[in-house]
Amino acid sequence: MKQKQFEAEHADLWREIDAIVNGVSLETEQLPSYYRRLCQCLALASQRGYSPTLTDYLRRLVFECHRRLYGTSVARPMVLRAWLNRDLPRRVREEWRLLLLVAVAFWGVGILCGVLVWWKPQLAYSFMGSGDLARMHDMYQPGSIHVGRGGSQGDLAMFGFYIWNNVSICFRTFAGGLFAGIPALLSVVYNGINMGVVAGWLSLDPTTRGTFWPFVVTHSSFELTGLMLSGLSGMRLGLALIKPGRLSRRHALYEVAQRMFPVIVGAALFTFIAAFFEAFWSANTSVPDNVKYIVAAICWTAVLSYFLFAGRKGGDAA
Amino acid sequence: MLDGRLSLTTPEGIRLSLTPAGPAVRAWAWAIDTALWVGSLMVMGFIANFFGKVGQWMMLTWAFVSYWGYPIICEVYFKGRTIGKRAAGIEVLRADGLPVGWRESTLRNLLLVADFLPALYITGLISMLYDNQFRRVGDVVARTLVVYSDKAQTRTALPKAEPLPLPFPLTPDQQRTLVDLFERERSLPPGRLAELGTIAEGLTGACDTESLERMRSYVAGLVQ
Repeated sequence: MKQKQFEAEHADLWREIDAIVNGVSLETEQLPSYYRRLCQCLALASQRGYSPTLTDYLRRLVFECHRRLYGTSVARPMVLRAWLNRDLPRRVREEWRLLLLVAVAFWGVGILCGVLVWWKPQLAYSFMGSGDLARMHDMYQPGSIHVGRGGSQGDLAMFGFYIWNNVSICFRTFAGGLFAGIPALLSVVYNGINMGVVAGWLSLDPTTRGTFWPFVVTHSSFELTGLMLSGLSGMRLGLALIKPGRLSRRHALYEVAQRMFPVIVGAALFTFIAAFFEAFWSANTSVPDNVKYIVAAICWTAVLSYFLFAGRKGGDAA
Repeated sequence: MLDGRLSLTTPEGIRLSLTPAGPAVRAWAWAIDTALWVGSLMVMGFIANFFGKVGQWMMLTWAFVSYWGYPIICEVYFKGRTIGKRAAGIEVLRADGLPVGWRESTLRNLLLVADFLPALYITGLISMLYDNQFRRVGDVVARTLVVYSDKAQTRTALPKAEPLPLPFPLTPDQQRTLVDLFERERSLPPGRLAELGTIAEGLTGACDTESLERMRSYVAGLVQ
């Protein structure tokens, strides 16, 4: 068959498909059968040596249809809820050894630094500059927390800052984990040292002790969990590179990234919640300290029992 | 075929070819996106100036959304292309040639940080140079590819001439080469066309433009 005849014979089909692909026509249920005919056209055109522009045109049309037909993923309703209800706590429990390492790297180092500073205050200067320590000290003077920020609008500004800063740290910690997990671990250790030194330093002075602890105790439940989760997922990724097991390194990286994805989303979510608490609850000086401690106890218990008990029942992970 | 293209076979037995995009064109796309990002921050900063503390919040939220969210949203909702990628003519696809979803796009964009380390995307560059599909680390982890987008070409009209039968049979590939010559005729200089006519003397038995005209007639005979 000559090319002209061929084109004339199938022009209607191609026009139809073009219209569907470009969103002009809405007869999408016809697409699978059209697509099969189009594939046949392309096969014939290539085999008979019709002109390259024709085959290229058909090939592009086939590619568009292919994407449309096979690219539509199966509907996954409530995927985020399933992750939070089941996958996130399960994955974290599965990685309990790594979690233990991250916890030691963070809490162990943090508490050690705190105790050291408490015991010998001058040691604080070997971790942080005197300017930074003085700034921290000023920041937590009674009254300066709220007044210095400029009221509820200041809270909003700080909310933006916490999201930008803390969630970014979270994401960087995860991505850094790729290099054998070391940057993720360093990030966790660094944050642990920072926390320990600041907490120890501010606890020394009774005036700042009274403002610091009520301020941090609530949102830290979410923020530190978020940081640990991102450290955990980052290190898992790095370990896949060191010890891929029976898979190739590329494949191991892919598998781990797929498995750890709910954990990264969880880390971002926890940090986001922490930013909300930090901006609007922790800095609220009209709430008495006792109430803050009670709320903090509830938050910590909720976070811990979530990771201990959530997702124990139910079917396999999606 | 040894042309650096990646060929995927669909369930219908059709072969689709993708051309992976290299570091240079991707750096160009990145440069455009970064310039846009910095520009948007400046505009936002200017607007935020008028709103005091609320402006600060706007600014920081915008920084977060545009830094982490912009590439992901663009890739998921705009056929795998950020504005920079669109300008550079490239797009992100899953390794199986299908559009990227949230998971792939998020992973590859979070790992852009790892590709940046230790400085100026050195890890990404090394990874791209070692990979036969120019994948950076983020692409390996998320199983995505950056490929050249197909340019939407218009089909040109085939030559009008008195049809002539071929002096001897040609294979489909040879016929295709002949047809292709006249589809590209407008982009070739007359001197080069005449030269090609002379090269084809074995087929047409003539030289220069005379040979060319004869080939035109053969092509007309092939397609009409």
